[in-house]
Amino acid sequence: MDNSKFVLETRNLTKKFGDVVALKNVNFKVGYNEVVGLVGDNGAGKSTLVKTITGVYTPDSGEIFIKGQRFTKLNPQKARELGIEIVHQERTLAENQPIWRNIFMGRELTGPFGFLKIDEMKEASQKVLKDIKFGAELSPDKLVRTLSGGLKQGVQIGRALYFKADLVILDEPTIQLSISEVRRVLEYVEDLKEKGKSCIFITHNINHVYPVADKFTILDRGKIVGEFRKNELTMDDLSEIMTSVARTGSVPEKYHKINLVGSE
Amino acid sequence: MISSLRGIWNKYKMQLAIVVIYLSLWLLFLIANPFAFTNQYTYTALMSILPLTIIPALSLTYVVILGEMDLSFPSVMALASWTLAVTWRAIGPNVIGILLALLAGAVAGFLNGLIITKGRIPSFIATLGTMFFWSGIVLVASQGFGIPLSMFKNELLYRIFVGRIAGVIPAQMIWALIIAVALWFFLNVHKFGAHVYYTGDNRIAAKAMGINTDRTIILVFIIHGTISAFAGILATLEDATFWPTIGDIYLLRSLAAVVVGGTALSGGAGTLFGTFVGGLILEWIETGLLAAGIAGFWTNVFYGLVIVVSLILQNMIKVIEVKREIKEGSE
Repeated sequence: MDNSKFVLETRNLTKKFGDVVALKNVNFKVGYNEVVGLVGDNGAGKSTLVKTITGVYTPDSGEIFIKGQRFTKLNPQKARELGIEIVHQERTLAENQPIWRNIFMGRELTGPFGFLKIDEMKEASQKVLKDIKFGAELSPDKLVRTLSGGLKQGVQIGRALYFKADLVILDEPTIQLSISEVRRVLEYVEDLKEKGKSCIFITHNINHVYPVADKFTILDRGKIVGEFRKNELTMDDLSEIMTSVARTGSVPEKYHKINLVGSE
Repeated sequence: MISSLRGIWNKYKMQLAIVVIYLSLWLLFLIANPFAFTNQYTYTALMSILPLTIIPALSLTYVVILGEMDLSFPSVMALASWTLAVTWRAIGPNVIGILLALLAGAVAGFLNGLIITKGRIPSFIATLGTMFFWSGIVLVASQGFGIPLSMFKNELLYRIFVGRIAGVIPAQMIWALIIAVALWFFLNVHKFGAHVYYTGDNRIAAKAMGINTDRTIILVFIIHGTISAFAGILATLEDATFWPTIGDIYLLRSLAAVVVGGTALSGGAGTLFGTFVGGLILEWIETGLLAAGIAGFWTNVFYGLVIVVSLILQNMIKVIEVKREIKEGSE
C-alpha cells in the first residue's frame, strides 16, 4: 500500500496565527531511515511545523503525507497511531510517576474492566530500558523526576520504540544538557537510525546535529530556504549558511548548486 | 535484604511518619487517661464519627491528586441529607431516598466538573461558588428547619448504614473501609487512577499522550460528589436528623486529613492510606481530648499543632528525599 519515497512529506503547508504567517508553503520531506536536522533561528517556525505534523495545530492549507497516506489535518492521537512519536524534555513526561507508568502513559496495557497489567508493563519497561542501553541497574520503578535530562529523553525514546514508531521527533533534545548527556542523546539518535527508524532532530545547535544527521533542512521565517545532504557539506559550510540565512534571509550563492530547494 | 528493606523504607517513609504521629498521639492519651483508653466505648465512639471525616476525605484525595480543590462537598453533604430526609418523610424509609441523595451528589459533582473544565474556572473559585449555591438551596428549601428521622431508627435499612455490629462496631466504619479499598483499587491498579495521576502531574503531557483530561476531571468530581453525598447520608442517620449545616464541620477537617496524610496540594502525588491515617489522627484528637477530660475548646489548638508539626515533618522527609535523589543521580 505504501509506495511513497518519504515517511513524511508536506506539500504547500501553510499555517497562520491571525495576521502572522508562521509557515509559508512548506514542502518538508523525511525519507525512510533518514535523520533530518531541522535547524533555524528562534521563531523560524520549527515548533509550528512539528506541532502541525503531530496534529496539535490544524494547518490553514496544504497537505501532509504520512507513509503515502494523505491528510489535510491530524490530531495527536491519529499522528501517534500512524507512528509519529515526539520526544520533548518535559512536555510528555509525568515527573512524579515511575518510569514504567510514563512509558505506558495513555496507552496502558489493561486486562478485563480496565484494570492494569502492572507486571507486564514493568517487564516490558525493563526490556525497553535495556534495549536503549540504559544500563541494567535502572529500575522501571524509579520516579522520572530523579532522572537526568538525557535519561528522561531516553524514557521517551524507549516509549517510541516500544510502540513501534516509524518517525521520532526530538524537539531541542540537547538544550540544557551537560556534554556527556548530549553524547548520550546523540547515541540514542544513532541507535534509532540503526533500528531503521526515521528521525527529525530539531535544534539550533549545529554542532550537536551535524554528526548524526543525513540531511539538513533550514527554516527561516516560516519558509524552507535550504535543504542539504550531509555528504555535500562540511560543518563549516553549514555554519556559514546558517549565519547568512540569519543575516540576509538567503543561502549564499556558492551553495545554490547543492541546495535541494530550487532557488527562486 | 538490607537494600530491599531500605527500598521499602524509602518508598513508604511518608506513610510511616504519619503512622508514627498517630501512634504517639494514642500513647499520649493512653498515659493521660488509662481508664478511658482501655475502654471499648471510647473506640466505638471514635468509629462512629471517624467515617464522616474520612469518607469525603478519601474522594477529596482524588481531587487533590488531580491538582484541583473542592470546597463544596460540605454543601453537597447537606444537599444529600436534605434529599434523603424529605424523601423518607414523604414515602418512608426506603432505598429510593438513598438513591436520590446519591444522585443529588453525582449531579452536584458533575456540575463542578463542568464549570472547571468547560467553563475554565479554577476549581477553588468554582467550588467556592457551588459551596454557597448548594448550601443556599438547602437553606431555602428547608427554611432553616431540621427534619428528625429518629422514628426510623429500628428499620433494617437504617441499621445497614449506621447500626452497631455486635453492639460495638458502627456499620459506618465498615462502609468507610469498603470505600477506602474500592477507591484504592481504582487509584492504583486501574487505568482511571493512572489517568488521575497523569492529569494532576503534568496536564500538558497527559493531553499530548492522548488522555482526555477534561473527562478525567469531570469523572473525579462526579465520584467525589457521590461519595460526599454518601457521607451526608451517614451523618444524617448517625445524628437521626437532617440539619442544614450538617456538613459544615467537615470542610476543614477532611481537607486537613488529606494534607496531614501527605498528599501535596500541587497534585500528581498522594495516597489514600495517608488520608485514612490523617483522618484517624484528627478524629483521635477530638475523641482523645474529650475522653482525657480536657475541655473541648482545646481541640482546635491540638488540630493546629498536629497539622503544622506533621507538615514540617513531611517537608523534612522531602528534603532528605531530594538529597538522596541527587546523590543517586550522580552515581
